Amino acid sequence: MTVTLLVGTRKGLFQLHSDDRRSWQLDEPTLEGWDVFHAIVDRRDGTLYAAGNTFPYGGTVQRSSDMGKTWERAEEIGLPEHTGLKLEKTWHVRPGRQVGEVWLGAAPGALLYSGDGGKTFDAILSLTQHETRDQWNPGAGGMCCHSIQFDAEDPERMYVAISAAGSFRSEDGADSWTPINKNVAADFMAEKYPEVGQCVHKLLVHPTKPDRLWQQNHCGVYRSDDRGENWERLDGNGLPSGFGFPIMIHEREPDTAWVIPEQADLNRVTAEGRLGVYRTRDAGESWELTANGLPDQAWTGVLREASSFDALDPVGLYFGTQGGSVWVSPDEGDEWIEAAANLPPILSVEAHWEE
Amino acid sequence: MTVLLPSILAAEAGGQGQFELEAETVGDALRALPVANMLFDERGELRRLVNVYVDGQDIRGGEGVEAPLTGGESIRVVQAVAGGCAAS
Repeated sequence: MTVTLLVGTRKGLFQLHSDDRRSWQLDEPTLEGWDVFHAIVDRRDGTLYAAGNTFPYGGTVQRSSDMGKTWERAEEIGLPEHTGLKLEKTWHVRPGRQVGEVWLGAAPGALLYSGDGGKTFDAILSLTQHETRDQWNPGAGGMCCHSIQFDAEDPERMYVAISAAGSFRSEDGADSWTPINKNVAADFMAEKYPEVGQCVHKLLVHPTKPDRLWQQNHCGVYRSDDRGENWERLDGNGLPSGFGFPIMIHEREPDTAWVIPEQADLNRVTAEGRLGVYRTRDAGESWELTANGLPDQAWTGVLREASSFDALDPVGLYFGTQGGSVWVSPDEGDEWIEAAANLPPILSVEAHWEE
Repeated sequence: MTVLLPSILAAEAGGQGQFELEAETVGDALRALPVANMLFDERGELRRLVNVYVDGQDIRGGEGVEAPLTGGESIRVVQAVAGGCAAS
């Protein structure tokens, strides 16, 4: 077994390697100077994609066929003039259902698609110009499209989430989108349960039970068992806070998930002055703290892209902090190991593994 | 004319930070670079935080990217990154 962690930071992309998930080797950075909001490997052809941004030169998608030794930048990427929008930042890259298909979540509230392996991207106007767009607002990080998920059993069904527009589902391969935000709170709005405008922080679809969705929201942790038609709030039983960014799930146990709560929206530090990962094994009915190996005192943060999980047995969990530490649990949260420290502020973590 | 790039653009240009080009305007020179799509946005407009100096003169004080070139100029691309502010 080998695991490579792709760690996107404020100053480039780092890679960590391990064959036991306990001892880790850190490589020199690539894409130096870039804000790497997200990086991911397409397991089918080994292409590494990175959503890279620079303050003066904007955002793009970089791709590498040699795991980061050399890179090629997208040739055409942007939003059409008639939308009145310009591409601000690239946030999340998701390889599509076919090799060579790449989806990109971006700001401002934009979804883009590449059918040529990341050379050129076109805006998906059915979402970017959605009829509810005038009710969307940017979150603190901008109006980012940060979650792109596929239904493993229905080739036409997919999901996206935008902060702060909410979650959307397509049943027709991205031709049209339905808001799926029922019972999801938007405490910062006059109407607490609007059709759209929710500040989703991360949305995941379960890979083997695809009717089940999880989301960590600005206003709580939620689960849906009907493809987002209805949501149940889960943060009253053992979580110190409903606020947080990352969420991790277990491929073989759909009732298992992990979150990393933060104190509050205006005090974005890990809850209760510690670094704690909270685990549920009963679909969110109850949560338990897992912190064996994590520091007892910590006031750090974990951003929305900065956690990942593998599908090995037992499941490995991974997250990075804004203080530049990478934490790994090789056993579903029972034990935590600091795999790297003193990196630049970590924006994203993605695990790539081979059994 | 010569075009000089800052380090992050030079890295994107395969490690080349200096280009010898022939072009009629500043815009033509910049668009001939392998990093043109970092300098210009999807509308073809020079990004707001990209500064360009021709023989030391900021092109935004003159004709912008339409400024004509006669040959022999030195074009320097500089990223406008604000520095820190001392506490007062």
